[in-house]
Amino acid sequence: MVDRWLRREDERLLTGAGRFVADLRVPGCLDAVFVRSEVAHGVLREADCSAARETPGVAGAWSAADLPGLPPMPDTRQGEATREWPSLVKNRVRYPGEALAVVLGDDRYRAEDGAGRVLVRIDPLPAVVTAEEAAGDEVRLFDGLSNVALHGEAGQPIDDEVWERAAVVVESDYRQQLLMPSPMECRTILCVPEGDRLTVWSGHQAPHRLRSDLARLLGRPEKSIRVVVPDTGGAFGSKSAVFPEFIVVAWLAERLGRPVRWIEDRRESLLVATRGRGQDQHVRLAADADGRLVAYELTVEADVGAYPHLGVAFPMQTAWMATGPYTTPQVHATVRSVLTNTMMTYPYRGAGRPEATSPLERTMDVLARRLDLDPAELRRRNLIPPEQFPYRTPTGRVYDSGDHLAALDLALRTLDYDGWRAEQARRRADPGALPVGVGLSCYVERSGGERGSLHDYVGVEAGEDGGVVARCGASSSGQSHATVFPALVAETLGVDPARVRLVEGDTDELPGGVGSFGSRSAQIDGAGLQHAATLLIEEARERAARMWDLPVEETAWSDGAVHPVRGTAAMGLSELVKRTGPLRIDERYEADMAFPFGTHAAVVEVDPDLGTVRVLRLVAVDDCGRALDPAVVRGQAFGSVVQGLGQALYEGVPFGDDGVPVLGNGLLDYLLPTYAEIPPIELGETRTPTPRTPLGAKGAGESGCIGTPPAIVNAVADALRLDHPDRLQMPLTPDVVWRAAA
Amino acid sequence: MKPTAFDYLAPGTVGEAVDALAAGAQVLAGGQSLLLEMHLQRVHPNLVADINHIPGLDALTVADGTLTVGALVRHKTFESPGAVPGPLGDLFGRAVANIAHPPIRARGTMVGSLAWAHPASEWCALAVALDAVVELRSTRGTREVPAGDYFLGPFRTAREPDELLTAVRYPLLAPDTGVAFTEHRRTGFSFAQVAVGAALTIRDGVITEARIGLANCADRPLRAHAAERALVGSGPSSPVFARAGETAAEQDAAPVPEPYADVDYRRHVIAVLVARTLREAAPV
Repeated sequence: MVDRWLRREDERLLTGAGRFVADLRVPGCLDAVFVRSEVAHGVLREADCSAARETPGVAGAWSAADLPGLPPMPDTRQGEATREWPSLVKNRVRYPGEALAVVLGDDRYRAEDGAGRVLVRIDPLPAVVTAEEAAGDEVRLFDGLSNVALHGEAGQPIDDEVWERAAVVVESDYRQQLLMPSPMECRTILCVPEGDRLTVWSGHQAPHRLRSDLARLLGRPEKSIRVVVPDTGGAFGSKSAVFPEFIVVAWLAERLGRPVRWIEDRRESLLVATRGRGQDQHVRLAADADGRLVAYELTVEADVGAYPHLGVAFPMQTAWMATGPYTTPQVHATVRSVLTNTMMTYPYRGAGRPEATSPLERTMDVLARRLDLDPAELRRRNLIPPEQFPYRTPTGRVYDSGDHLAALDLALRTLDYDGWRAEQARRRADPGALPVGVGLSCYVERSGGERGSLHDYVGVEAGEDGGVVARCGASSSGQSHATVFPALVAETLGVDPARVRLVEGDTDELPGGVGSFGSRSAQIDGAGLQHAATLLIEEARERAARMWDLPVEETAWSDGAVHPVRGTAAMGLSELVKRTGPLRIDERYEADMAFPFGTHAAVVEVDPDLGTVRVLRLVAVDDCGRALDPAVVRGQAFGSVVQGLGQALYEGVPFGDDGVPVLGNGLLDYLLPTYAEIPPIELGETRTPTPRTPLGAKGAGESGCIGTPPAIVNAVADALRLDHPDRLQMPLTPDVVWRAAA
Repeated sequence: MKPTAFDYLAPGTVGEAVDALAAGAQVLAGGQSLLLEMHLQRVHPNLVADINHIPGLDALTVADGTLTVGALVRHKTFESPGAVPGPLGDLFGRAVANIAHPPIRARGTMVGSLAWAHPASEWCALAVALDAVVELRSTRGTREVPAGDYFLGPFRTAREPDELLTAVRYPLLAPDTGVAFTEHRRTGFSFAQVAVGAALTIRDGVITEARIGLANCADRPLRAHAAERALVGSGPSSPVFARAGETAAEQDAAPVPEPYADVDYRRHVIAVLVARTLREAAPV
């Protein structure tokens, strides 16, 4: 039968038959609602739940004082200092929306009725929401401890005389604004205790990590917890951790012996979901008179949120990637992570690489203008040539492979770069015409993960019925794993893809798992599954050789069957399993990180009188090595380009004077690009496989968030012929563009 | 979030509806604002009166030079060419395209927008510009309030809590009236940062009548009287329209700062948009 659907997931998800955590019906399940702080920073005097407990349909209501054994968040130690992050506020509120109490009800309506009756008294303290304000320690989030939680650097400091001797030095300041990852489905968790076991359903990127975190926090063996990830409506990095609300829900489910769930709504999410980016940057870029880069310095002040967590060290991703795709001999990046009165900053699609790409690419355009060079030509003179790979950067990365010039050239051709430059000249000569601008951005990013998370668990099992089950530690939140991985295993084994089924996102199915983040699933789990399928073929040949009393080399494998090299009698997998017993390969597969790259380009038209930006054209040329399923890769590229467009033009978190985000009307205040904002987008590919796995796949899917924003901003600056790009800070809302143009 | 508990009533007549309002009910018509506010728990009605089942409230009638729009006439009605005759219909057609997106236009109502009185509402700005009159019914009787006296502030109007806004009436525009509506907003579906509607009558090369409505240029919809005065008696020209734009921005408007639109920026946009709208209403 020919599938009518492009992906296996499509029929289920597009016909409303998807099963998300909120769709699971468990008898007797209680809904959790959190009473949240309306102030950003303050001293909690009282959170009295007694009236809430009397509300009809409310099963219980608790503040931290009512739950003395409630474990705090893990991983809050930073250097010598531990700054405790309680799962419910004990005495100090440190970010708006921080949970003060929890109410469990028969349903969400009743639980919210109860939550409305919790009596809260908070004495407000001054709030600090920017790194600059917080770094002075005039307002401390933790008494006796500095707000500065981490200093880091990559590369070597650059001598003053390098800057003094350089023909041109460009300096700029940039802001990488806070962004909300905004998956369609917000965070979810459903905890079902049954006897000695706790089953946890959660839309999550790293189910094994969630299991070990919960086991440690609840003080129970890992084996007693099963984490299952059903359909998940997007994640973009925001669903890879354990959260205070998760701890409260799991702890109460266990203590009460009842199923409890928390289904985060959009209003909560805009207050307390993890946020991305959040960096103030200063750059210095030096070049010689021919435009050859001499030195680059990036200084990052990161606002990382109220509690030290994994996000504190995260800006180091930006520092390590500061070199970008250029042969700059000296690069130095420093990072200071500062606690601020917001929910934690955390990986969001692109995660550290957008923050590295944007300042460098914007500064490249300024440098081109300063040197009176075409920005494409400036880049061409500095891109790392293919013969220099593997390339060790001054900031400590070893790029695996690349053909950056090919990607740049393809992007210029796809865009019709020369044609748009001619149109730009024509409009500049016509006083009545709106100006157009062309922007480029060359990027290199990192996929696979960092040391310690470059492996995953994979398995391939052949059944008596001829079916094949592939297992892996990845966890799809919309990345089409159920389509891509079975096809890969089927191709390796030479069987019909319809015979292969994927099982993932279930901790009972594999001894361990790392998950899906950092563009790692295709690169690590894909290569692992291919490897496991190859091992399964070897095992099948060995079994056949024993059965047929032949040396292994006298057996061969083709089209899903083993056969003697001489002779025709082939034996399929199902027959082999019936004769020789269960056939299952389980592997821990590890591969080094890889470095996808590409060039994005934008054409914009600006109405300087109003400051509106109309994107006329976006081109994204990406190289992710081997693309396992080009349609799926293009789908992800498209989606990430749209998210990149969101950072460039629309998305931001405005704060009131009290430090509380002004997002009370939800997505009417936090504007995401919708179909009306999506310009013509053209995708292109070059293919440079990674030598780090036999499969050759690098990560894909984050490129648009990385490459697109600076291309758009550069295009706006080009349209306005701006000499001082500092005035154009994202999002380029009309008021920002109007002021820059004035 | 979820609404707090409430009772629901579906009156079959206006009489039953105003009885419910006298008992403290909030009116549910298109529900595009009320339901959102209830979900955000900024509005907590004990009783919701759903007027969607009352016959006759969906009437759109033209008689004696007056258009009457009933409380259940949906936004999308005005998308149909010819739904309202002449330049008034043209102006409504230009305005309605700016209201949110198709599902909201299919459900939400013009009268509901007037009752809700969001400062950025396109209909509210046109109502003040066009000398509309709203009809208010209660158990105490019926009264009519000119739009110019009706809007008192953001989400505040002259409507008493027990009054049902049953209809709004507009005088039709003369056939030779030029109309235009322009809006400036951050994305296709977001609220207006500034919106301007205009109706111009030009006779013998002289502007004889000008109506300019401003949305989100103050804490309530405005009619740009000073700018209109600057126009009447002049010939239509770009400099005249530009001056009218500046007058609207400096004298008529009282912009309220919002994220991404502080007072300076908003005044500037008003000047630009008024001039552009006038040029479109009367090509020179």
